[in-house]
Amino acid sequence: MTAPYAFKLALQSLRKDKWINLLSMLTIFAGLFIISLSYLVFYNVEAATRNLPEKFSLVVYLEDNLPREKIDDVIASVKTRREVGSVTYISKEEAFRELKATLKNSQYVLEGIDDNPLPDSIEVKLRKEAMGSESVRKLAEAAKKIRGVSEVDYGEKFLSTLHDIKNGMRIVGIILAAILSTGIVFVCYSTVKILFYRRNDEIETFKLLGATKGFIRAPFLIEGAAIGTSGGITSLVALYLLQHLVIFRMAVAVPVFRTLLFPADFFLSLPLIGMFLGISGAAIALGRLKY
Amino acid sequence: MMEPAGPMIHFQNVSKEYENLTALHDITFSVGRGEMVFLTGPSGSGKTTLLKLIYLAELPDHGSITISGWDTTTLREASIPFIRRNIGVVFQDFRLLDNRNVFENVSLALRIRGVGEREVKSRVADALKTVNLRHKADSYPRRLSGGEQQRVVIARAIVAEPTVLLADEPTGNLDPDTAEGVLRTFKDIHAKGTTILVATHNRDLYRNSGKRVLRLDAGSLLGGEVC
Ligand SMILES: Nc1ncnc2c1ncn2[C@@H]1O[C@H](COP(=O)(O)OP(=O)(O)OP(=O)(O)O)[C@@H](O)[C@H]1O
Ligand SMILES: [Mg+2]
Repeated sequence: MTAPYAFKLALQSLRKDKWINLLSMLTIFAGLFIISLSYLVFYNVEAATRNLPEKFSLVVYLEDNLPREKIDDVIASVKTRREVGSVTYISKEEAFRELKATLKNSQYVLEGIDDNPLPDSIEVKLRKEAMGSESVRKLAEAAKKIRGVSEVDYGEKFLSTLHDIKNGMRIVGIILAAILSTGIVFVCYSTVKILFYRRNDEIETFKLLGATKGFIRAPFLIEGAAIGTSGGITSLVALYLLQHLVIFRMAVAVPVFRTLLFPADFFLSLPLIGMFLGISGAAIALGRLKY
Repeated sequence: MMEPAGPMIHFQNVSKEYENLTALHDITFSVGRGEMVFLTGPSGSGKTTLLKLIYLAELPDHGSITISGWDTTTLREASIPFIRRNIGVVFQDFRLLDNRNVFENVSLALRIRGVGEREVKSRVADALKTVNLRHKADSYPRRLSGGEQQRVVIARAIVAEPTVLLADEPTGNLDPDTAEGVLRTFKDIHAKGTTILVATHNRDLYRNSGKRVLRLDAGSLLGGEVC
């Protein structure tokens, strides 16, 4: 068949049944919008927390009354590790002073404590390249084995909670996307089914004149693709506008929103995903044409 | 699809039943290549059913049908469109598409074959000229008289120059003069080698035609004498 004629038929049908087509396009738009919005949220959470371990320093607590040379040994062996950026020694006196300063309005907490209960410690900062909760954990384990070290603290609870939250978000997102994608395919399926039945007479005539399955199918597949793609494009536009609205309107009140990121691959992936889902729905609806 | 030898259409002991009604009973006949044959019989005798078996809109319950040597009962589904492209049909119920004008309706027979736009234009114009409807190219079927609609259907059936032309009551809505014109058209096409089978009540069409006339009565073939 001539490809332009299939497009012409598809266009005719899009125009003739514009309300059905518009309605399913809007449904696809809504579905893709929700999917991409949740992805956008996840994407931003991911971006905002990617470098979070950087802000955490490892605190290595030393055994009590370690002589100065031993302390230097510990510092030296920590420094040999590649991921370590800077190392700062904090003596127990310094730590106690800092504690007192922090608690200056509630000194009573320290009442009766004359002996300094705090240990000597060294604060270890990681280099940017070595960031990540995994490398922090490895470093902490290695530090614990150094002689003279009593304990290592690195905010593992927080990092692993964050990790769990992100994992949870990812799973919920995948489930949501799967459900909504199925919904979109179903919408395209029923739309094409309806259009197919509405044009049953015409299709019957086409067949009797000698039209192949391909000739009959092609316009519906094109139509499904068009509906899906336009649903994808509208959701992309809506998401983009929403993001700008949030940045310009809300960033004044909530500065966090100023750094809201928009994944560049949305510009291609949203229309393509829409098209793919549209064609899938149409293909399922056409199934096996009978002669 | 054309094999050189044998008849164009051959029915061998064909029967067709609708639910509990026998529409055709043990039909055996042939139409030779390039032959023009008439099919007649009272209303409900099975003429349309017989034509439908040829263009594969129905399948026989018994017997076999061969079109140009191809056994239609063992045909692969995918080859049906290609068999149909060799058969032009003037449907008794017209089957015109109301949402398309005359030009578009006639052009469909070419579009499904993938004929290019320029060729479509000239061939449709020729076909419409043959049935004297060039001036109605932009009209919609509902705005045409019954006879005009019938001629659009004829134009659509001949526009792709099929090997076989099946015409089901092609003059049912036409005055004698216009009917005469249609018959002349068929004879011209026949002269170019097209095999033609015309189902009709109209005695004027086949009287003194020198063609074979097959007679159906209540689904049975009464024989085929030359008129
Ligand atoms: N799809 C169908 N389902 C059930 N019965 C049918 C069907 N089509 C035709 N029939 C019956 O089969 C018989 C033959 O019908 P057919 O249309 O072949 O007759 P015909 O000779 O073409 O009649 P006419 O001259 O009125 O067009 C009739 O009794 C008709 O009622
Ligand atoms: Mg009939």
